[in-house]
Amino acid sequence: MKFAESWLRSFCNPSMTTDELAHALTMAGLEVEEVKPAAPPFTQIVVGEIVSREKHPNADRLSVCMVNVGALSPAPLQIVCGAPNARAGIRIPCAMVGAELPPDAEGKPFVIKQAKMRSVESNGMLCSAKELGISEASEGLLELPLDAPIGADIREYMKLNDSVFEIKLTPNKADCLSVYGVARETHAITGAPLAAPPSREVRAVLEEVLPVKVLAPDLCGRFAGRIIRDVNAKAATPAWMRERLERSGQRSISALVDISNYVMLELGRPTHVFDLDKVHGGLEVRWAKKGESLKLLNGNTVELDEQVGIIADANGVESLAGIMGGDSTAVDLETTKNVYVEAAFWHPLAIQGRSRRFNFATDAGHRFERGVDWETIPQHLDYISAFILDICGGEAGPMDDQTINVPQRLPVAMRIARAQKVIGVAVSAEEMAAIFMRLGLAHTRDATSFVVTPPSYRFDIEIEEDLIEEIARIYGFDNIPALPPIARNAMRVRPSAERSLHALRAAIAAQDYFEVINHSFVDESWEREIVGNLNPIKLLNPIASQMAVMRSSLIPGLLANVRYNASHKADRVRVFEMGKVFSRDETVADGELTVARVSQPLRMAGAAWGGAMPEQWGTPKRGIDFFDVKSDLSAVLPSAAQFVAATHSLLHPGRSAKIMIGGKAIGWIGELHPRHLAKFELTSAPVVFELDVVPLTELTEKAFETVAKTPVVRRDLALVVENSVHSDEVLATLKRAGGPIISTVDVFDVYRGIGIGERQKSVAIRVLMQDTERTLEDTEIDAALQKMVAAAQEQLGAALRA
Amino acid sequence: MTESSLTQRIAPAGIPASGQQPIDIVAAALADFAACDTATALEDAKAKYLGKTGAITALLKGLGEMTPEHKKLHGAEINEKKTAIEAALKARRESLANEALNAKLASESIDVTLPGRGRGVGGIHPVIQTWQRCEDIFGSIGFDVADGPEIEADWFNFTALNNPPNHPARSMQDTFYVDMNGTDGLPLLLRTHTSPMQVRYARMHAADLSNKGKPIKVIAPGRTYRVDSDATHSPMFHQIEGLWIDEHISFADLKGVYTDFLRRFFETDALTVRFRPSYFPFTEPSAEIDMKFDSGPLKGKWLEISGSGQVHPSVVKNFGLDPERFIGFAFGSGLERLTMLKHGIGDLRLFFEGDHRFLKQFA
Repeated sequence: MKFAESWLRSFCNPSMTTDELAHALTMAGLEVEEVKPAAPPFTQIVVGEIVSREKHPNADRLSVCMVNVGALSPAPLQIVCGAPNARAGIRIPCAMVGAELPPDAEGKPFVIKQAKMRSVESNGMLCSAKELGISEASEGLLELPLDAPIGADIREYMKLNDSVFEIKLTPNKADCLSVYGVARETHAITGAPLAAPPSREVRAVLEEVLPVKVLAPDLCGRFAGRIIRDVNAKAATPAWMRERLERSGQRSISALVDISNYVMLELGRPTHVFDLDKVHGGLEVRWAKKGESLKLLNGNTVELDEQVGIIADANGVESLAGIMGGDSTAVDLETTKNVYVEAAFWHPLAIQGRSRRFNFATDAGHRFERGVDWETIPQHLDYISAFILDICGGEAGPMDDQTINVPQRLPVAMRIARAQKVIGVAVSAEEMAAIFMRLGLAHTRDATSFVVTPPSYRFDIEIEEDLIEEIARIYGFDNIPALPPIARNAMRVRPSAERSLHALRAAIAAQDYFEVINHSFVDESWEREIVGNLNPIKLLNPIASQMAVMRSSLIPGLLANVRYNASHKADRVRVFEMGKVFSRDETVADGELTVARVSQPLRMAGAAWGGAMPEQWGTPKRGIDFFDVKSDLSAVLPSAAQFVAATHSLLHPGRSAKIMIGGKAIGWIGELHPRHLAKFELTSAPVVFELDVVPLTELTEKAFETVAKTPVVRRDLALVVENSVHSDEVLATLKRAGGPIISTVDVFDVYRGIGIGERQKSVAIRVLMQDTERTLEDTEIDAALQKMVAAAQEQLGAALRA
Repeated sequence: MTESSLTQRIAPAGIPASGQQPIDIVAAALADFAACDTATALEDAKAKYLGKTGAITALLKGLGEMTPEHKKLHGAEINEKKTAIEAALKARRESLANEALNAKLASESIDVTLPGRGRGVGGIHPVIQTWQRCEDIFGSIGFDVADGPEIEADWFNFTALNNPPNHPARSMQDTFYVDMNGTDGLPLLLRTHTSPMQVRYARMHAADLSNKGKPIKVIAPGRTYRVDSDATHSPMFHQIEGLWIDEHISFADLKGVYTDFLRRFFETDALTVRFRPSYFPFTEPSAEIDMKFDSGPLKGKWLEISGSGQVHPSVVKNFGLDPERFIGFAFGSGLERLTMLKHGIGDLRLFFEGDHRFLKQFA
């Protein structure tokens, strides 16, 4: 909410500077977001009167004006001016020679000097509102009222030595959605006296009343209105009212609209003015019916139903209750003569969410959904009527004020001890009483508690905590100490068999992967075409199409990271991310940490692209491959993890594997399928992996095994097998056949090429044998080797390499 | 050179029997040794004096023909010379060995300023480093860590937090909805804050508090989502939620804990913290927390850092606890915001671009 400081100070004027006042409001919960001067700095600009205007002899668009600035110059000043509206008789702001105009973008003021313009002497400058920095638009010279005192300083005459406050109000502060409301709060905070609310009395001349029927007491609690006939809709809004509206960010529209806005800003009272001649029959206040629709003032047509409150006449719906008037009964500058002014109490619950449903917001709706005082409706209706009569003329009818169903204000009790316990400070009962007094909260008290009956303008006091908050707020949060809490100690430590997520991240980062954070919502084509998820969870209101569905895999995001860095000249990219993925899953039920039908496990995924090693001296260049990344994963996977050949739509079918722990698949590793390379503008394939995180946080308890002191015997075998035979089969076969004396079999080389058949490979295997009790005999060693070779021949078709 | 030629050449020099003035055999040996510049040459030179036919050997042999007086006189003299020659030999040997080693080492020298070889290490994202630091700080006074769903039910994200449908406070957070309904028939949403974890965690631990007096003391860091996108807002960001419920945890405790947290997080006591009244449906009294550095580039500027307050009694009830008996505070802070302030990062979008050049700075 925006308003001029001078308006606020007209009701409550604490002896504080502008900044002090802004700080005090902020520290009481009315956050002053911005304090701006009403006008930028300028000097020596005064009210001048154009005495005569002649065309400039040498320039078509310029005129030469003689300007009377009163006592400031004995003779009128000759000033050359380019404004089309310069003419004799008008009063305008006149910058004298030596005047400083508002600073430019670089902050330098513009100084007016005596000058010749096209060889005609000019002794000053006539100014537009834009040149004074008080308006964005320039409509020629700013024409002042004809009674503006000639020679008077413009800053003083236009009250420009003022500031505009912009306050960010929280939804509970319905009572502060007006200048008077903020004044009331200023009084509570500072103790400075508060003026009585502005009021006017209206004498009814007419007897005519517009019949109004309120059919929905849960919608409308009170409804008041009156007829005013013979108004001049074209009357000009007085300058003082326009100025206050403009400083509040409200453009002046027409007198009737301006008056309504003014009363809303000053008192927080939204009102509506109908063109009486366009109202057919009487008014009916009710819930809408399905199928009804309404063309609003803003030109939009909305479809209505039983959830929406309306005002209707004999012809149909006229207005969206508490939110916006309708087009058909709107006042019109040209044709409106007779009006009906309405002020009502709409129940907050009947208004809340309605305008959001239609996707627009109005100042009236904003106030009614938070709560507007119902008790001051007659005073405020008189106040607005008096302005209409003053400004637009006319004759008023009597006020028709029906109270149907207004809220009850129940007394709220606050225990002194409870307040002290929650705040953590022993605020005294006397101090609490003083705070309630300043807030205008009528109360009774006994030794242990207060009982407050909240005023009708407060919609935020229903329970004890609401009062505790008021005490804390006005007592001052700054005055509450910051205490180190006192609590019982208990040791807490992670179980040794559990790895933290941070330790897991650190482990993969140590393998030269950089952590990234990608959005959880992605382009739908990523899910459908890359991940192969044809039914991703969609956002109903995405901010962009590339953020339209929830990801079910972290990998496409990582591929985009690879592309991003590759396009920025990186020749080697290694990234990982830990995050949730999302998919529909009928087996998930609502639970302590689950939401029904949504699977959202935590995953960790990585992508490595480019060189296996950073390009460096003394190291041959080699592209990353499956086995580099497989080795990286050994840093995070338990030793029991197995890699089982399997295919995935994302991955190269011959270069991908499922990762299994204890028979359960926990993730994937593989080279990106070549068909996805183009989508990410890559010429070589990244190797990617994606793992479920939970199994990786479960560490196996370390079990001790005796270290045998007997000698270890090494024998190497070279076996030729078909390419399709997997090395883990070979190793398992050998180990089984060799019996208990085999401690280790592993592959130390694989060879394909000359001397080996096509579709075959030679696998070099190191066999370590040991008996934990005694030294092995040569005969046992040879026998074991023979058995191993025989088994490989029989079971895998292997041959000893010649 | 043959052995006989050596003997012939040397013999006259060392044999006093010839009647000539004997030359200084030790000085000759020293000169010879010094002239040797390889180990082989030195061994050859050694033979000239100490070998079977060497000068000293010859002298020693000569002793046998002498009278006992002469023997005594010359014997000692010859031994002295022998010892001196042997010492010189040893010294020369060592010196030659050192020279050889030095030459070898010199030929093996490397350019130690070349970079080390190998793979290097990656790094943890700066926002996650903040996350971990928060866990460490709050963990140091006994806070547990919790995480939960990001696609969340309306009840946990809003209603349980005292923010029923249509409440004006719902417009404080623009919400992403997904194309699925919860079991209550309301659309599921992307959690707009980590506060639903207050409710989930507290409900899981309410019995421990009610029956065993074990306080609910938890932080819940994680991803959150709002319909917003510019240099200072990201549609996805991270929050850390804090919750402490017990029989006596007051607003003054909130001020104490959070002030301490900021001083530990930024590793300085030179910062001022202020609590400013605000409004959140789920806390009352509610406070916006601002901080101001007393030094550094951001000196003197109030920076919004967190929302906080005493948990609203309706929310405590939704925890499954008696609000008459249990009170406490909650807060929620942005991890990106903390990270930006700590490192002086101006643009939020850098966190989500995955640019190696950015990420490496925090490794």
